[in-house]
Amino acid sequence: MRLTCPICGDRDRREFYYLGAADYLDRPVEGEAEATHRYLHLRDNPAGVTRDLWQHEAGCAAWLVVERNVTTHEILQVSLAKDEIRDAR
Amino acid sequence: MVELVARTPCEGLLPYEAGEAELSEIIPKRITSLAPFEDSTLLKPLKTALGVELPAPGQSVKAKDGRIVWTGQNQFFVLDAEVPALDAAVTDQSDAWAMVALGGAAAIDVMARICPLDCAHMTASQVARSLIGHMPAIIIRTKTGFEIMVFRAFAKTLVNEVSHVMDAVAARGALST
Amino acid sequence: MGYSAFQLLKEGLTGNKGWRPVWRDPEPKAEYDIVIIGGGGHGLSTAYYLAKNHGITNVAVLEKGYIGSGNVGRNTTIVRANYFLPGNSEFYSHSLKLWEGLESELNYNVMHSGRGLINLFHSDGQRDAFARRGNMMCNQGDDAILLDRDGVRAELPYLDFENTRFPIYGGLFHPRGGTARHDAVAWGYARAADTLGVDLIQGCEVLDIDVDGGKVTGVQTSRGPIRAKKVGIVVAGRSSQVAAMAGLEVPIESHVLQAFVSEGLKPAVNHVVSFGMGHFYLSQSDKGGLVFGGDLDFYASYAQRGNIPMMEHVMEAGMTLMPAIGKAKVLRSWGGIMDMTPDGSFIIDRTEIDGLYMDCGWCYGGFKAVPASGWCMAHLMAEDRSHEVAQRHTFDRFRTGGGLMDEEGTGSQHNLH
Repeated sequence: MRLTCPICGDRDRREFYYLGAADYLDRPVEGEAEATHRYLHLRDNPAGVTRDLWQHEAGCAAWLVVERNVTTHEILQVSLAKDEIRDAR
Repeated sequence: MVELVARTPCEGLLPYEAGEAELSEIIPKRITSLAPFEDSTLLKPLKTALGVELPAPGQSVKAKDGRIVWTGQNQFFVLDAEVPALDAAVTDQSDAWAMVALGGAAAIDVMARICPLDCAHMTASQVARSLIGHMPAIIIRTKTGFEIMVFRAFAKTLVNEVSHVMDAVAARGALST
Repeated sequence: MGYSAFQLLKEGLTGNKGWRPVWRDPEPKAEYDIVIIGGGGHGLSTAYYLAKNHGITNVAVLEKGYIGSGNVGRNTTIVRANYFLPGNSEFYSHSLKLWEGLESELNYNVMHSGRGLINLFHSDGQRDAFARRGNMMCNQGDDAILLDRDGVRAELPYLDFENTRFPIYGGLFHPRGGTARHDAVAWGYARAADTLGVDLIQGCEVLDIDVDGGKVTGVQTSRGPIRAKKVGIVVAGRSSQVAAMAGLEVPIESHVLQAFVSEGLKPAVNHVVSFGMGHFYLSQSDKGGLVFGGDLDFYASYAQRGNIPMMEHVMEAGMTLMPAIGKAKVLRSWGGIMDMTPDGSFIIDRTEIDGLYMDCGWCYGGFKAVPASGWCMAHLMAEDRSHEVAQRHTFDRFRTGGGLMDEEGTGSQHNLH
């Protein structure tokens, strides 16, 4: 499996760290217990296309949002997490 | 009084040669890490002093004195040159890194075994952050081979791993002739 | 059908033509008291104990593929009770006791072999941690012996004790730990459940779960609708998909775990050896193959195959621990889908829908749990209250943050276990 880092280009899976679903980008308001539970634990976990957070740990260190098909390991899109957050705001 | 003796990171370990690959230590005069703030006009004194702009991601440039190497998101290393007073996050890391040069005709074969990068397709002055074995590393392609930087604490591991692979490549080469 | 030495001899001499299927292939009925979704090890043992312990025999097990085609036929077969935390400790202890009586219980050779399991340690701190774990295991009534380096050397002389990064200081020996024959466990439970009247319906995919006014009423399947008073979801690996049919979201992320088998070799490895620091474990099957594996690939996946870097990592760890393994050729490798919960421990609980229960989140430790999981799930579904050895394994522990069972102490996050 290879990911194309928007900064460094096409790189081997070994250079990347996987954090989890891109849900981690949507932090709940502090103190909202139910929302925090959903944020930390509950996942759609689809058997198909997912969006998840990776870091180009051994490379440029950028956090990435990766859209991929988890049943085929096909990588559909890789973007910088900071751009995704900016777009969302 | 204890007499402290300054040693280079790879002192006593290098140079090393096996088959058509050679490994030697590089001792930069100075290594300065530079992380610019958002306002790029703040970098003017650097450009004046070194005569070049900051390199694009994955690149290094020769400066009037020394060179500037891209080393990650919004991060650069200035090698060998003095960095002028600058409004940026600047840290002296001269003693924090071990730096070696891997050369010879077999250098690419050695890298192919120990680094996940497609090293054969790198061109001179290109830079990548990647792995040597399991060690995070900065890898610079030169005209004659590769320069590799790892954290100083990994110096012995770096030499051990690269020289082991050099031996293996040499042995493979001897078999095929 | 029972088995006897006489029958084996007779069939062996007459071309094995007299064997008959050992469980029926029934058409699904219109209604059951209980429908279990998933005909893996856990689903089959649930059905068996519903019939055996609770006298509920109007039960169907619905299996999308065929019996034994999922993770129960695709694992590294280790059976142990060496857990540390209250909750896991008593559960796996119960499970190991069931394993030890399983062959006579089912009249089926599941090839359970208590050959002993050794967890290696490589530092003083790790020795302390294992000493403490060993004491916990003894307190639970299981067995644990702390071995020093010479003690490990006497048992496992073929390891490299001097490797630079992780020199072997000793090991925690769990003599009753061992292995069992993975698919035989599924077949044994299937036959026993069928004999007690449970319908095992293979090639029957559940497409939807019917819920009416907050209560489960049945399932829609590829072979038509089936009404049920209670439904159990026992589909680890696909828990999120099946739960979603009832509108439920579960605290699970699916990950891939790889395993490997070498060519058949003469008996050499007499124990299960676990090298935690290198993420490597090893045993030898009765056929002679070295069965070994490592850690997760560490990304969500349903692909049932992993990537090459983790293969390389496992091989490197194997070479570090046991250099002689380099002479063996790897015959095959595979990947399985793991239901990863945030704390690394499983869930056997009610859901927010009346009459709908779930047994899920087995992470990478489901095989050894097969007997106790079925025992506790059957208890929960029959009595509508948790069995005492699984009462901590609720959904609610994540919501409240109380009673998390983070055995590895790595934090409550899916990819850390």
